[in-house]
Amino acid sequence: MNAQLARDNIVIRSLSQIGDCALFLLQILAAIPRSLKHSRETIRQLWFVGAMSLIIIMVCGLFVGMVLGLQLYDVLSIFGGTSATGTVVAIAIYRELGPVVTALLFAGRAGTSVTAEIGLMRATDQIAAMEMMAVDPIAYVAVPRFLAGVVAMPLLCCVFCALGIFGGHLVGVSWLGIDNGTFWSNMTATVELVKDVINGVLWKSVVFGAVVSLIAVFQGYTTPPTSEGVAYATTRTVVASSIAILALDFVLTAFLM
Amino acid sequence: MSQRPSYAVGTGLFIVLGFTALGYLATQTTSVANTSRGPSYTIEAHFANIGQLKERAPVKVAGVRIGQVQSIVLDPGKETADVKLSIDKRYDKIPEDSVATIFTSGLLGDQYVGIQYGNSTKIVADGSTLGLTRPAQQLEEMLGKFFGAGGAADNLSGSYTVKARFTNVGALSAGAPVKMAGVAIGSVQSVRADPVKLDAEVVLAIDKKYSQIPDDSAAAVFTSGLIGTQYVAIQPGGSPDMLKSGDELVLTQSALQLEDLIGKFLVNGSPSDKKPADNASASNPPAGKH
Amino acid sequence: MTDSVRAKPDDSAIVRVRGLTTVLNGKTIFDALDLDIPRGKVTAIMGPSGTGKTTLLKHITGQMRGQAGDVSVDGQNVQALTREQLFELRERIGYLFQNSALLTDFDVFENVAFPLRQHTELPEVLIRNIVLTKLQAVGLRGAARLMPTELSGGMARRVALARAIVFDPMLILYDEPFVGLDPIALNQVLKLIRTLNQTLGITSVLVAHELAAVQQVADHVYLIANGKVVAHGDPKTIASDGSPWTRQFFGGEADGPVPFQYPAGDYATSLGFKGGA
Repeated sequence: MNAQLARDNIVIRSLSQIGDCALFLLQILAAIPRSLKHSRETIRQLWFVGAMSLIIIMVCGLFVGMVLGLQLYDVLSIFGGTSATGTVVAIAIYRELGPVVTALLFAGRAGTSVTAEIGLMRATDQIAAMEMMAVDPIAYVAVPRFLAGVVAMPLLCCVFCALGIFGGHLVGVSWLGIDNGTFWSNMTATVELVKDVINGVLWKSVVFGAVVSLIAVFQGYTTPPTSEGVAYATTRTVVASSIAILALDFVLTAFLM
Repeated sequence: MSQRPSYAVGTGLFIVLGFTALGYLATQTTSVANTSRGPSYTIEAHFANIGQLKERAPVKVAGVRIGQVQSIVLDPGKETADVKLSIDKRYDKIPEDSVATIFTSGLLGDQYVGIQYGNSTKIVADGSTLGLTRPAQQLEEMLGKFFGAGGAADNLSGSYTVKARFTNVGALSAGAPVKMAGVAIGSVQSVRADPVKLDAEVVLAIDKKYSQIPDDSAAAVFTSGLIGTQYVAIQPGGSPDMLKSGDELVLTQSALQLEDLIGKFLVNGSPSDKKPADNASASNPPAGKH
Repeated sequence: MTDSVRAKPDDSAIVRVRGLTTVLNGKTIFDALDLDIPRGKVTAIMGPSGTGKTTLLKHITGQMRGQAGDVSVDGQNVQALTREQLFELRERIGYLFQNSALLTDFDVFENVAFPLRQHTELPEVLIRNIVLTKLQAVGLRGAARLMPTELSGGMARRVALARAIVFDPMLILYDEPFVGLDPIALNQVLKLIRTLNQTLGITSVLVAHELAAVQQVADHVYLIANGKVVAHGDPKTIASDGSPWTRQFFGGEADGPVPFQYPAGDYATSLGFKGGA
């Protein structure tokens, strides 16, 4: 009955996906205690989704910071406010660009590989084999990847932000000649720990990490175990993650402001 | 030989790196970096107006940071804000008759408390109050003195046009408001360069309501606010004859470049920079961070 | 137990299926299926493709449940077990997947060690000894550090077999163990099945199509079609049992009780020759 409805209407199909996804989240949360004995697997996944994403995050953070420094210097120089470059770079990165760009990169870099990996594990009966070896695949496959995403995202986001500030400093101070002390003192005078770093960087990225990993794991876990299904699920992970990140970003910003 | 140790080490490095970055962001780029960590003592000051002063704003002497604002409380029943200043223990020689003033760092910057030392040999003790204070000068007030306040242009219901010639209109463009006493009375209809007289001819459309403008009034191109658009201000003259449609305003003042203005402003000294009459021991530039 | 009333007096049956009825997506897979798998023997389950042989294995392991009937394994009613009890039961059942289903993240050694690491806290030395013993049994001790992608199909199946026997199960289910193997690999797997059964006394259930291979190892054959057991007996004699099912299946006839045509509406109507009908 559900399947027939789903075929009819894209709205109903999307809604049922969201519903299934929420139920899957409950399954994952319920399996977290059981997955504690698989902590080694969680660490391994942290390596794959976190440490392996470091390079792209660092490079992108650096360039985002540099381009922000360049653009803001240009705009701020119109009314002689170039000394605020550091402040605006920091606020823009902490509040929006850091979490959002990191999450989008994370969805593209780690989310897709998680989806494809789980999809192929299903296609090659590895999930069924775990069932048969009396290993709960939710606890062994889904939860470690989910937890790894939740832990890795904020860490990656912090690295991204730090590199972004460095990039802004590189362009603003080393290249465009803003005074070094001015750059930092204006930044430290305006940027606030709770509002910008805790709410902006940490909370957002924890939520984004959870959402991206949930979508990635869910898509991998529920896709038809065929090569076409896996390819389609990978695409859906990126699309759904991107939409979810940007929509949630608005909601979170409204709440955390 | 197994792969597990390398994962564990790499993951550990990743986590350490992430937390290092977090620690760096939290302590080096936020206001946490400004909180004094050393021992400090507290003095109080009462201000009639604290403007935009916030907690943790710096307290400075001669532009050098000596502490921060600990708390800002409005005592019930009193009209003055009670500001507690947490001062670094090293700076324990503040004369009792020093003056606390709220300054703005730069034109767009945050506000801070500047302390100008007095001559008294008595030292302010922990918990005591600075008697002499000077409230925050609102930037708007200061600039208002230069520019006059801005306002939205009325919808024009029937207007007459007058001409004015300027040697420099700055960034004035058609559609900009025409104001008198800060109130919009019309708009700029056209701006064109006169090929013969080599100046700018501006046609002003003025609302019919304002027909009682003396014909010796002056027109000037002003800027609304610091970064706002430019507008034409009419300064009424004393002539008994009134402006008629098609007249030309003879007395004009061209656009001043903002840089010139601010240059004058800073060189002449702002109202907030004037020291109390009897104090001559310390000077405090208004833009302490620059 | 309730089913003991109807059960045949065959106490040696390790798996007992009674009246199993399963409907999947509107299609009846099993229709009151009765089946016994004797302990300590090699039993082959044969039948045309799509008759639910693999589905039957999934019922035995509790991965699927029927709409009616009982499946009991070693005296436990699988359909009534909780997830935890099922997991306990599965630790005593080995399952060989058709495509081996090795974990691609791990090398051969870790694949075989996987169930041990998940369910026991054995010291590394002991794990190593058990794993190497099992790999030796399937003749792949030298391949311990290869990754699954480096293995041929036959080797992968032998590794999967080593993994399936790492806990010395009472029962091994082989899902199409001979598909896609060259004659050498096929004989290696045959030899392993026989050895495991004879030396360790492990009950084996094979799902297979290859009569020749089955005749070499199986003690008993069930032929399933249309959701029922249509014939069973000794593998040597079952082919000559005379029923139309066995004749078609073992004779490889294109048409018979298993129709060549997938069920469809009237041909002439489909082509539009009986307008208005």
